[in-house]
Amino acid sequence: MTVRVLLADDHTLVRSGVRRILEAEPGLEVVAEASDGAEAVELTRSVRPDLAVLDVSMPRLTGLQAAREISRRVPGVRTLILSMHDNEQYFFAALKAGASGYVLKSAADEDLVEACHAAMRGEPFLYAGVTSTLVGDFLERMRRGDSAPRAVLTPREEEVIKLIAEGHTSRQIAAELVISHKTVERHRANILTKLGMRDRTEMTRYAIRAGLVEP
Amino acid sequence: MPLFWRVCLINGAVFLLGTLALALSPATVSAQPLLSELVVLLLGLTVIVLLNGALLRTVLRPLDRLTAVTGQIDLRHPGLRLDEDGSGPARPLVRGFNAMLERLELERSTSTARALRAQEAERQRIAQELHDEVGQSLTAVLLGLRHAMDSAPEPVRAELDELRGTTRASLEEVRRIAQRLRPGDLTDLGLISALAGLARATSARNGPRVRRRLPTSVPDLPSATELVIYRVAQEALTNVVRHARAESVDLGLTLSDGRLVLRVVDDGVGIPRGAMGAGIQGMLERARMVGGVLDVRAREDRRGGSGTEVRLSLPLPRRAEP
Repeated sequence: MTVRVLLADDHTLVRSGVRRILEAEPGLEVVAEASDGAEAVELTRSVRPDLAVLDVSMPRLTGLQAAREISRRVPGVRTLILSMHDNEQYFFAALKAGASGYVLKSAADEDLVEACHAAMRGEPFLYAGVTSTLVGDFLERMRRGDSAPRAVLTPREEEVIKLIAEGHTSRQIAAELVISHKTVERHRANILTKLGMRDRTEMTRYAIRAGLVEP
Repeated sequence: MPLFWRVCLINGAVFLLGTLALALSPATVSAQPLLSELVVLLLGLTVIVLLNGALLRTVLRPLDRLTAVTGQIDLRHPGLRLDEDGSGPARPLVRGFNAMLERLELERSTSTARALRAQEAERQRIAQELHDEVGQSLTAVLLGLRHAMDSAPEPVRAELDELRGTTRASLEEVRRIAQRLRPGDLTDLGLISALAGLARATSARNGPRVRRRLPTSVPDLPSATELVIYRVAQEALTNVVRHARAESVDLGLTLSDGRLVLRVVDDGVGIPRGAMGAGIQGMLERARMVGGVLDVRAREDRRGGSGTEVRLSLPLPRRAEP
């Protein structure tokens, strides 16, 4: 089944770049392009894509505002935020606005396709920076004895979580541990499940509780 | 009465007194003055000089005080004024001087405010252009390289991959510079999130642990005020990272008695005497610009710990209840 994607970015060159990346991937098809947030919302309502990829800073409506509108008016459509800001506050703001994930532009070439698939599976996409923030915070709390892990991690998972906390990307971790990229992704997914951070709402709740983000 | 006429009048009065004394008293001076006559003349002269001196002194002493005060005037510490009531005859001059100080201080604070506003506007413009033009173009290049890699033959692919790494690094650098120039999260996500992000970023850069005590929301503030709060927090945290050798910092924002108070308190080595740099001066100017008061002092601690406290207190804008 082909995933129909709407693309919104006010910068034409970026839009066509993203389009090329997505269309090179079998199973993804760009069905509409918008150059601002309001147009993205309108097109989403008329075209009904499966997924809307929104640039965070756009004229008329920002990406976050557009995501909020879309999740309110066209609830079936998943959204992804594309952003320049390597800042977990934006990430949580995106989740609160109803987005399924947050992709950094500086890593878009590697992460975007993966994020699209994650969004369609109904999983939050965590970019490397925010994962290390979350995991680092979690490890710190465990050290202080604030909360015990729900399930014991395997030694391999512990190796992976340490590297995640240090801010390494999945690809770097794969190279470091001499395992495949897919295996790292599976470990990462398992770790997040075990830490109770698999689901978007769950993660937002955790972040608020941990004081990573203000409610 | 102008000072000149006052001095003339005093001198004239004294001379008149001497002349009258000579004219009306029986004293005479011989063609060949006798010693006794000379003594009387000298006494008279002394009386006249002393009298003149004493009278002129009351007029001119405020001028000396004025001179002394002008030496102490430092526009960075405004508020110094001369006592008008105790200035006697020099009162108009003192009043004029005080009015001039008033005007200078006003002019200085408005021109500083203008300069800071111009600086922020310029920063914003550069950040915007970096973000919107350079950043987006680099993103397009990054995506294009990725696309080209997929269809390129093996030897070219490695080269493209390397270029992609460079592009990514440049993109991150551009983003970092833009963020430092203009805190995008302040306008996008609001003051609290921006301060939380600042705290997180400070801790993440191998800085001290930043404990946040932030309210969940603050009343709507003018954007200039929000920017001042953010910049003061930013400058204070930068100073802590650079100089304080602190282990932890408290970043707090509280609302009380119609005032908003930002506090940045560290447990570092404190500020050595006379080390107030341009950074602190800048914080003072910014605070003054929005009607706030900035205070930098040694941390209050009963257990004898060291550290520094930066405290910014701002009046909340009054508004009618809806």
